[in-house]
Order: sequence, then structure tokens, then C-alpha cells
Amino acid sequence: MFPLILAVVAKGDGELMVRLQRRDPQALAELYDRYGQVVFRLILRMVRDTGVAEDLVQETFLRVWNRVGGFDSDRGAVGPWLLAVARNRAIDHLRSRGHRTESTVELNETEHPELFADISTDVLNFDLIRQVKRALDQLDSQQRQAIELAYFEGMSQTEIAERMGQPLGTIKTWTRRAIQQMRTALGGAVPA
Amino acid sequence: MTCDELRPDYLLYALGVLEEPERSEVRTHLGRGCAACTAGLREARALAFAMGTSFDGPNPSRQLRGRILASAGGVPQPRWNWFTAWVAAAVTALAAAGLMLYQTRGFRAELAEARMEIERSGAAAAAMRQAFDLIQAPETREVTFGQGQPAPPRGRVFFHPSGVLLIASHLPAPPPGKTYEMWIIRGGKPAPAGLFSSNPRGNAIHLYRPSAPLMESDVVAVTLEAAGGVDAPTSTPIIVAPL
Repeated sequence: MFPLILAVVAKGDGELMVRLQRRDPQALAELYDRYGQVVFRLILRMVRDTGVAEDLVQETFLRVWNRVGGFDSDRGAVGPWLLAVARNRAIDHLRSRGHRTESTVELNETEHPELFADISTDVLNFDLIRQVKRALDQLDSQQRQAIELAYFEGMSQTEIAERMGQPLGTIKTWTRRAIQQMRTALGGAVPA
Repeated sequence: MTCDELRPDYLLYALGVLEEPERSEVRTHLGRGCAACTAGLREARALAFAMGTSFDGPNPSRQLRGRILASAGGVPQPRWNWFTAWVAAAVTALAAAGLMLYQTRGFRAELAEARMEIERSGAAAAAMRQAFDLIQAPETREVTFGQGQPAPPRGRVFFHPSGVLLIASHLPAPPPGKTYEMWIIRGGKPAPAGLFSSNPRGNAIHLYRPSAPLMESDVVAVTLEAAGGVDAPTSTPIIVAPL
């Protein structure tokens, strides 16, 4: 099961990133072997088209390959950075397909490699993923839909309100409750 | 707004979907080095990561890996099994043989045949196509190395602002724990240009594609270094090709 593998491989990411920064193509191959499957599954869940998903996975890894110089291999967590880049690529695609504006959301701000420093690889483990999955499963359907529209389609709360036909205040309440429930599920797993 | 009031917004901020005025509030807190908001965002990024990995799904096609490596300019390293190993060895040997023939004897017919064969071989072909494109580009400069010297290796370097292609023969496979590292030297300063190995026949092809166009350089060199590469050469160059 991939998340279990992830808990093991995350600890070796620092050395891998050093090799990527030295432009070692074999390091890119190893990065793909570690994270290619989870990146593909995330993007496919968002765009729901296998061909498009593979193109976006390719874009994701090339973007990381070209920007890895800004990554702090001593302190950075590559998994969260890689998934942030992948999610942004998929949202860009969804926006271009749906002719949505980008006025409220600044995706590029969310994927600077330095933002992923100091996330301890110790917490990126199977327990955390299992707890978050359980918390997502326990959300009521409206809370879950609101949080999924934010995560998987990159919608702002105003856009979610329009999509779900609800007042903005209601969406804010649902979203906050959903996030609080997931944070509680973490139970201090991530030092705050 | 206080940090407590902003706490539920950290995840939305990390996801890039937080709207005004809360977005500016979070930025302000971060801008003044607020420890609580910094830690909260760190937690939010871990949470976002967990959300993105919390579901199952199908696997990507087997070809995707090769596509990614080829488009990054690296020669793809197939997942190990006997079939892919055989295909990789055959393609590499064929490509090396074809290119060496071209550089030493000018056998364009063999080159064309090799090219056709390579193009039938999936992901490796993309990298080789890039190499051929670089060779044929009008701006590409070509230099030889090792000619007339008693000890090999010998070969050619093709230099273009978009990349450097090195083709070598008589280059022994690096010993365990070692790798060849190429350097582009300008004004006496070497810059790393990728790692590579030679095959059991002593042939090597290495294509370096930088993220930004290359400036005019003085020398392309190759040293033997520890596996994983180094930031600056630590040994005497095995190959020196003045440009």
C-alpha cells in the first residue's frame, strides 16, 4: 500500500533531492518511483481523464526538476511540495477547461519550495493519512462536498457557495467545522 | 484578527483558496513572523498532503515513467526486469554504435537505420531524438577529444545553448560506488552537467539539458566522482574537450 511505503521513503528524500539538484537523471527516476503513483492518483481524482492526468503528472515532475534548486534538502519535505505542485497543475487544467477566473486564488504562491521546509518527515506517515481519511469519512455530506470543492477543484468559498446554491455564511460554517474535525483527527500529530 | 480566529483558515490559505480579508490577515501575521500562524500553516500543509494521499485509484501506464525522464533530458532507466533490461541494452548499444559510426566514418546510412530502430523503441527514443536534434542544429559546435593520444577515451562533444551532448568510446565502466560527472567550465569555474556511466563495451552517451540556455563556455570535461556526484570536481579530468 503506497502510503505505508511513503512513510519509509520520506526519510531518504533529502539525499535524493541533493542528487536532483546536481541534475542526476537517475534521481528523477527514483523520485518518480517513490511518488509517481500517488501524484497520478491525486491528479486523476481531480481531472477524471487518464490521458490528461498523465500529461499533468509529466508537467508536475518537470516543474519540480526545473525548480529543485530552490528546495532546502536539509529541511524540506518533498512529498507535500510535490503534491502541491500536482494539485496546482490539475486546478489550472480544470480552470482552463471551465473558463473560470483566477481572481481569488493565487496558486503559484502555494508551491514555493521554501514553504515546505520544517515539515517533519516523521509525521508524514500512514497513521496521519489513516486518521485524516477517517475524519473525511465522518464528515456529513455537505461539509465533505464543501471541503472537496476547495481541495479538488481549487474553489474559493464564494465559488463553492455559488456551486452548492448556499449562502456564503453557511459555506464558511461548513468548511470551518470540517477543517476543525480534521485537525482534531490529527490529534497533535503535527507539532503546531 | 487574532491567531485563534485565523486558525480555521490556515488550510484554505495553504490550498490557495482563502479570500479577502482573511488572506491579507494571514499574510500580515506571517509577515511579522507570527510563530502561531507559521506553525499552523505547517500543520495545514501536512494535512493537505495527507488529504491528497488518502484514497486509492489505478496506476499510471508503464510508459509514463519513460516519457517523464526523456522530457527532462535524462536517458530513462527502465524498471528492472529481463525484458526491459534487454531492450535498454539493445537500444543503448545500437544508439552508441550508430553514433560512433557517424562520428568516425560518416556512415549516414547506418545512422539513419539506427535512428529508425531507436524510434521504434519507446521512451528511450525521445532522449535520442533530442540528441539527434542537437547534433543537427545549425548553431551546434562540434569538437573532438582524445584524438592522437595514446590512451583512450575518444569521442566528440556537441555544444549548443540548449544542451551539451557527449559521445565517448573506450571509456571503462566506472568502478562500484563511482560515476562519471560532466562539467561545463567557463572562466575557470566548473559547473555540474550531469552524471552518467558507460556500458560494458566502453561506450557512453550523455545529454545534458540545462534549465536555462548555456552561455559560451571554454571547456567540457569529465571526471570520475563518488556515486551521486559532487558540487566541484575532486579528481583529474578523464576527458577534456576545449570548445
